Amino acid sequence: MADDIRFSGLEDVQAPIERAHGLPNSHYTDPATIAVENRAVLETTWAGLAVGADVPAVGDAKPITLLGQPLLLLRDDNGQVRVFQNICRHRGMILVSEPRKIEGAIRCPYHSWCYAKDGRLVATPHVGGPGQNAHPGIDRATLGLVEVRSHIWRDVVFVNLSGDAAPFEEIHADLIQRWAEFEQPMYHGGADSTFQLEVATNWKLAVENYCESYHLPWVHPGLNSYSRLEDHYHIEQPGRYSGQGTYVYRQLKDEAGTTFPDFPGLSAHWDTGAEYVALYPNVLLGVHRDHAYAILLEPVAHDRTREHVHLYYPTETTDPVLRDRNTHQWKDVFIEDIFVVEGMQRGRAAPGFDGGRFSPAMDGPTHCFHAWVASRVAAMAAG
Amino acid sequence: MIAQEKTALDAALLRAHAIDDRAALVELYQRAADLAGGSAAAFYLTHAYIFALELGAAAAPTLRARLVDMGAELPAV
Repeated sequence: MADDIRFSGLEDVQAPIERAHGLPNSHYTDPATIAVENRAVLETTWAGLAVGADVPAVGDAKPITLLGQPLLLLRDDNGQVRVFQNICRHRGMILVSEPRKIEGAIRCPYHSWCYAKDGRLVATPHVGGPGQNAHPGIDRATLGLVEVRSHIWRDVVFVNLSGDAAPFEEIHADLIQRWAEFEQPMYHGGADSTFQLEVATNWKLAVENYCESYHLPWVHPGLNSYSRLEDHYHIEQPGRYSGQGTYVYRQLKDEAGTTFPDFPGLSAHWDTGAEYVALYPNVLLGVHRDHAYAILLEPVAHDRTREHVHLYYPTETTDPVLRDRNTHQWKDVFIEDIFVVEGMQRGRAAPGFDGGRFSPAMDGPTHCFHAWVASRVAAMAAG
Repeated sequence: MIAQEKTALDAALLRAHAIDDRAALVELYQRAADLAGGSAAAFYLTHAYIFALELGAAAAPTLRARLVDMGAELPAV
């Protein structure tokens, strides 16, 4: 299919919301279109890959595949989280196949070339012949693991696969500033504070649903009792992030009325305020006075997404019963969203669907995301 | 006697490989290097060194130094 046909209709997506259409079907159903889109919105930006809590201790290593690329998340001897291509510089063999602890060096299982945890190539057994472990043609200094550009914010490990995006702090200065009060230590709740959801949808539909509050009274009726539609506001930062906020966040309490401790020093806005933001492309964040969460949307296939959910607290230790209750409360909410994001994915098989029309009053944050995707794809298609 | 020892060492090495006992492999390959002598020693000592390196074992620097002395490995930078 010619690119001018494949990417037609993107102007309509970028039009003002009163006239705009959503992204065409092909952005959800056509692997060729999605391959170009992936380059435009996932490889050349700062995409969420994992969280630091995935590798909590020195030497912890976790292989992760992103857009088919084999990556290795590793915490080095200095405690720094790093991302490498998970392949040996010799024959391209996968180095680490399962999450595990690297005690000393990473040994390739094929010919046993060894790498230090900072990526340096440190041993090349028999490379010069039996019992001869060096060769003038093999310069170890130039054959370390290929490091992927990464940046950690709010424990999320972001990667820039293309290596040429502007610095993360520069691109996302707005949200960093908006949530400056939350720029303080937070602690992953541990094994009971993480879960994954397998969803039969394109990852973008999960973003689109997360952005807007329009669906809340219909899809999450349990929220109606205290969190009404009019208690929410839109958050829109074109080209960067969008989402929603609430004025009526209510803390979780146990039977004795105990709550989680607060993040210290927050302004009064956060007494009952909370915000939920999709940080483009694929990270969904939430902040509250007493906890935060991050959801990483892993694009498994054009119609399959794995949602990795992680909850964080202001203190290292929190009540495990309350924590478990909080995890389940959020899990129930996110599960309630599955039928709509899967339903919209199935709906994209309808020929001639024009991408849909937005509510000018209620869908602004979702349109903001569509317009960002469309502008990046259009720019890439135009070369 | 040496032939018997080599046979026993061979069997021990195969067992250690079968159960992926890397600490044992470090020891056994050192013994194999000592028994072999000559140019074959560097071959076996390399295996001991690599498994020690992977484990982060205390023996790794010493094994490397032995290989460097044999001209089989680059000096540590």
